[in-house]
Amino acid sequence: MRSSVNWTVLGLVIERASYGWELWTRFERLYGDVLPIGSESNVYGALDALRDRGFIEGVREPRRDGSGANRQPKPHYRATAEGVDAYAAWVIAQAREHNRRSLLFARQLGALAQQPQTALGILERYELACLDDKGAKTPTVSEFPARVVPGLADRLASAYGRSVMAATFGWIDYARREFAALAGRRPRSL
Amino acid sequence: MSLLELRGVSKSHARRSRRIRVLQDVSLEVEAGELVAVWGLRRSGRSTLLAVAAGIDPPDTGGVFFEGRDLAARGASVLGDGVGYCHQGVGVAGGRRVIDSVRAGLLARGVAVAVADSRAHEALGRVGVERSDELLLGDLDAGEAVRVAIACALVLGPRVLVIDEPTKGVDLLERDEIVLLLRSLADEGIAILLSDGDGSGLSDADRALTLAGGELRGRTSPEIGEVLPLQRRAGKSTAA
Repeated sequence: MRSSVNWTVLGLVIERASYGWELWTRFERLYGDVLPIGSESNVYGALDALRDRGFIEGVREPRRDGSGANRQPKPHYRATAEGVDAYAAWVIAQAREHNRRSLLFARQLGALAQQPQTALGILERYELACLDDKGAKTPTVSEFPARVVPGLADRLASAYGRSVMAATFGWIDYARREFAALAGRRPRSL
Repeated sequence: MSLLELRGVSKSHARRSRRIRVLQDVSLEVEAGELVAVWGLRRSGRSTLLAVAAGIDPPDTGGVFFEGRDLAARGASVLGDGVGYCHQGVGVAGGRRVIDSVRAGLLARGVAVAVADSRAHEALGRVGVERSDELLLGDLDAGEAVRVAIACALVLGPRVLVIDEPTKGVDLLERDEIVLLLRSLADEGIAILLSDGDGSGLSDADRALTLAGGELRGRTSPEIGEVLPLQRRAGKSTAA
């Protein structure tokens, strides 16, 4: 299963058993900025794919007192043990792939040793792009009233983002000095 | 005209027998309500940049302008006169009470003690340490010390707040809170210029820049939408 959306929906079902529309709203709130999917139907497609693979299973809708007793029950899903295990393997593989791509980028830049001005130009553009991205915004609790632990996912993203940004800018500074030296411009000592 | 503007600023320091150029032809504009973060490694010149921006350290060449006026021409009165500055390591001089520290700027300007007390408590409340007023500065943790430093500046009603590494030494879990506090001050209309070494201040900034090799990179002036003049709609009378 290659779809990031399918795996992400699985993560939401692992957090708590749920149904299509609720999963869609949670998806939008948590991932809308980094993994836009546009339509609720993508969540239903993901649920079908996950059920076919045995990663989730249908459960009876939790009974609620009061209104709506006569309406058609919504199909609810919960994650299977196999689904939890597969999800863990997938998120770790994603993180490792991210690290591998970062190393690849560093090596691709290093391969421009004979063209230091080109590499410096790439670094310049990369830095400006990072400055525009800046990482995940710090969440405020009031933005997440419905979550069990308000804003936790965004706090983790914020902490991760700032670590990555600081490391990235430090690395760009280092790489720039290397290529400046190759280009014959003595790097300014600080 | 920007609220705060650095124009072609260069600055060098003597380090042993050498002269090190720390800032090289740096220009930067900050507008009211903006939060601008400058990231730099240690010894990148980030603290020098902020001291120059606050009018504490004069540039060798170039100029620093607050509301269009050259800070160099205003003498030592610039701090507390529209520009607030928080340097690193607040709270090290530990024998003083928090409340005395916050109201000192007001008392020095001839404000009555009762009024100064009231405004100092208000400022401490605004930054979330209203219950620390009787503590000694030396007893504060890093996060509280930064908040008190911000209160010391806020109490004088700055239009620009220049703050050097507000999250340095602050507990990881509290850094977001400090950044959100600064973000909220910017949202109230104060221009915030901060330096950053760990990435904490970047994500909530309106603009982030880097300082390396004396050069400032990134968007050095705010993006302001084009102002289109209102035009009368063709064929319609505007007569009442």
